[in-house]
Amino acid sequence: MFIKPLSVTMSCLALLLSHQYATAGPMGFSGSAMTMGDFNNNWQEMFINYAITPRDAFGVSATYMRADDKTKTRTLEEVTYTRLLTRWNMPHAQANLWFMGGIGALQGEDKQAGKDQRFDKIMVTPGVQFDYETTRIYFAATYRLYRASDINHDYSAVRAGFSFYETEYDKTQPWFILEARNMNGLSEKIEITPMLRFINKSFFIEAGVNNSREPRFNFMYIF
Amino acid sequence: MKKLLLTSLILSTLLSNVAYATQTIKANVNGMVCAFCAQGIERKMRALSQTKDVYVNLKQRVVAVELKDGQTLSNDTVKDLIKDAGYEVTSIEVSEHPITQIKAGYEPIEKEKK
Repeated sequence: MFIKPLSVTMSCLALLLSHQYATAGPMGFSGSAMTMGDFNNNWQEMFINYAITPRDAFGVSATYMRADDKTKTRTLEEVTYTRLLTRWNMPHAQANLWFMGGIGALQGEDKQAGKDQRFDKIMVTPGVQFDYETTRIYFAATYRLYRASDINHDYSAVRAGFSFYETEYDKTQPWFILEARNMNGLSEKIEITPMLRFINKSFFIEAGVNNSREPRFNFMYIF
Repeated sequence: MKKLLLTSLILSTLLSNVAYATQTIKANVNGMVCAFCAQGIERKMRALSQTKDVYVNLKQRVVAVELKDGQTLSNDTVKDLIKDAGYEVTSIEVSEHPITQIKAGYEPIEKEKK
């Protein structure tokens, strides 16, 4: 079932890696606040952080996660820290290595035959992200632990895409982005989502439909 | 009286030329590939009291800051603000051309390439 999407993903990745590489990182510029939202049926996340330096941002985040079969739900409220570990500024490209982490309260519910189990735990979420981008091509890989006692919902994602054409700084640039992601313990399959991305100097939005035919919407905004 | 009027006229002409001389600081910047990310540069430049206008060109890797009449700004301040926004300045120069002229100089080149 997944061979065809996987081969399409691999073909696109190969194509993208052979060209130049755009995005937005998980924090804004020094002195700015950035808010981000990521929404589909099984994963809903909102966060806001404030960059106290060009490399450090503190924030708060709220995430709702649900298993594919709807037997497990999780809600997480955490305080977060984002650090730009390394940035490579090249003539026509930029690459970044980020640390993202948080600690917060997890509320869980597991529905099993005839009985529901509810729990509250402390969860920690350290992770890293690498991204490489040009005005035409974008690539990012993210791995983040979502751990609490007896809970492992580690998150992994790879994103790649290309812009349809270059635009001036003041214009909106359309992109095609393909994402493959998985959350351990909540879904056994790889969620693949082709999305259209629109980047403007004031906003960043993405919308698509995943391989379970569910809608997906993301946005970022810097104040 | 005639001499005084003539002297005043010459002086005011000279002073007005000095006061209205356009000064634009133009920087070449590495890593500037995304408008959403590069908005930090524009916002930081526009926040300066000396700034009249800002021009960003991702393709040409250029940031230009036109100063208000009679205002000055050091190249180092511009470099530091761009660095603070997360980018690297590779070269910087002061131009007497206004942003409208700099913009007009780049855009025909880009249209020709298309």
